[in-house]
Amino acid sequence: MSADTTSKPARESRQSGPVVGFLRWLENLSDTQYAYLLLTPVFVLLGIVAIYPLLRTFELSLYAVSTDLSSVRFVGLDNYVALFTGEKNRFLPGGTTFLPTGLDAANLLDSALVITLVFAVGSVLFETLIGLGQALVLDQDFYGRRWVRAAIIIPWAVPIVIQGMMFFLMFDSNVGFATPILADLGVVAPTNTLNDTVSATFIIIVADIWKTSAFMALLILAGLQSINRSLYDVARVAGASKWQQFRYITLPLILPTIGVAVLFRSVQAMRVYGIIDTVSSCTVVPSLSCMVVSTFNTHEGTSAAIAFVTAAIIGVVVMGIILWQGEDAI
Amino acid sequence: MSSATDGASDDTGPLARWARTAIHNPRRVYRALFYVAMAFFMVTTVFPFYWLLVLAVTPQGNLLSGSFLPTVDLFGVRGTFPLPVPKGFNPTAFVTVFEQVPFHLYVLNSFVLAATTTVIVLVVASLAGYVFGRIEFPGRALLMLGILAISYFPPAAFVIPLFQAFAGNAPITIPFIGVPLFTPPRLLNTPGSMVMPFSALFLPLSIFILTTFYGQIPDGLEDAARVEGTTRLGALFRVIVPLSAPGVATAGVLTFISVYNEYFFSSIMATSPEASKWSPIVGGILSYQTQYTTQYNLMAAASVVGVIPVVILVIIAQERIVSGLTAGALKE
Repeated sequence: MSADTTSKPARESRQSGPVVGFLRWLENLSDTQYAYLLLTPVFVLLGIVAIYPLLRTFELSLYAVSTDLSSVRFVGLDNYVALFTGEKNRFLPGGTTFLPTGLDAANLLDSALVITLVFAVGSVLFETLIGLGQALVLDQDFYGRRWVRAAIIIPWAVPIVIQGMMFFLMFDSNVGFATPILADLGVVAPTNTLNDTVSATFIIIVADIWKTSAFMALLILAGLQSINRSLYDVARVAGASKWQQFRYITLPLILPTIGVAVLFRSVQAMRVYGIIDTVSSCTVVPSLSCMVVSTFNTHEGTSAAIAFVTAAIIGVVVMGIILWQGEDAI
Repeated sequence: MSSATDGASDDTGPLARWARTAIHNPRRVYRALFYVAMAFFMVTTVFPFYWLLVLAVTPQGNLLSGSFLPTVDLFGVRGTFPLPVPKGFNPTAFVTVFEQVPFHLYVLNSFVLAATTTVIVLVVASLAGYVFGRIEFPGRALLMLGILAISYFPPAAFVIPLFQAFAGNAPITIPFIGVPLFTPPRLLNTPGSMVMPFSALFLPLSIFILTTFYGQIPDGLEDAARVEGTTRLGALFRVIVPLSAPGVATAGVLTFISVYNEYFFSSIMATSPEASKWSPIVGGILSYQTQYTTQYNLMAAASVVGVIPVVILVIIAQERIVSGLTAGALKE
């Protein structure tokens, strides 16, 4: 928008009334004033639904509600200290803990922090590899490419609750046909599969990979298609094999794209809740979001402290993205 | 090919013959690898849907007896067929699923919530996208960074205060100052308690998509409209938005699908999973999982019904989804 139209006085108009008056007032605003005016709805919406709750969560995490819910008292950072020393573990559902109480597998996987990280690393790692494979397939020219692409995207669009039902029904103790097959291979527990922490975590990671690889594939595909095709012509003339072309041209050029996609997905993976709630339960696979949801009605301060720690961990990752990407992040 | 037939070893099968030509012509290996990979991805993607169909058409009485993996007897070799097949055929589950629980109402609730959120997001994000894409003003980079940062925070970090506010029991107070502002009405089990978090949750993605699209419209077109006497807002909604129709469609489709898929707030803000209390599809399917715990065919049928709208949407709007996900996420 050019500056001179805005600095000119309002157009002459014989009409009057509140609407015309408002429009005339609008015309006379400077660019900056106009920009902030149009952004008001964003500020209001994000202020009410994001910024206020975030600050309020932090405030709640500094208070303790007495057991009979009659009084609230300020305890400073005691909730956080108790969370990290393990005193709060008795408020968490089942036998779950916040930090691991020991270094053996059972104790590690009872810990909300560990299980969230295991889920995030496991799912994002395989999503990246499978997404890369899918992207390389979709990057080819072949008959029916449109339909293959649609088939690969569809899991991404499946509601979480239905994705959960699919995997719940595959491993349910009554109808799940997949349990005996995978139990024979020693991958999941033969009985009570969905109530076994290791098996349930494995199934949830697989379910997430099934749903989200397509998202990675699309991001990597965008990177692939931005590569200058003449680089491959040069490589072919120079006698490079397909593998060498991939290793020395494709991979280095899409690595930055993959980096951004991995960080972006990791942040999303740390939120995991819905798939756990449908396939298994929060006491079996205690993710951080699970802990917040299952304690917020009974132990508000504890729940708020866990929520804020989750936000802080994600905040650190986001700072990493922004520092790494710099201005390009926007 | 001819070298294989007139070669010394006539006893080789087609596989060995193929391997020999492949050694001389590696392109065939890559082509074969490509088809294997494509088939693998197609099978793994489609298989869970196939499994839902198998369960849905299996009659109620046959669900628990025997295995879904039939034993096959092939020339004397007995083995388990690796693909589940229906035990009988009875598609009435697709009718019962609407009778036992008003499942169509849950789907309708999801549609209403998704459509409302999409309209709100498109209007608010259009204003913001116009500002970020077309106006240079102090604080622009910082504000975009702020919106980006908010979009990364987990819903769990917002849910406790929002749930308390929507319960409407206590006044909202300014954090750390303690000044009470007002007591909100009780919004739990109403569209408000879900549409508000959804809008905030999915607003940033739409803002970034629309910023990109609106920023690409040449200045001259907007200036021309302004010279013709259009108001500032008129130029946005009569020139910029129509010219960016693909971008608006992209943002709309992505928001609609995201809301339809949302789990976290959908399950928490609809405290009682009843269709009359605005519980969306999450409540409908979970009520089958929790109340009719052995009617697996109904759970599967409900899932199939619930997934059909998004499958249709993906097939129709494939191009928009691809461009939106890549543009939006890479910008973010």
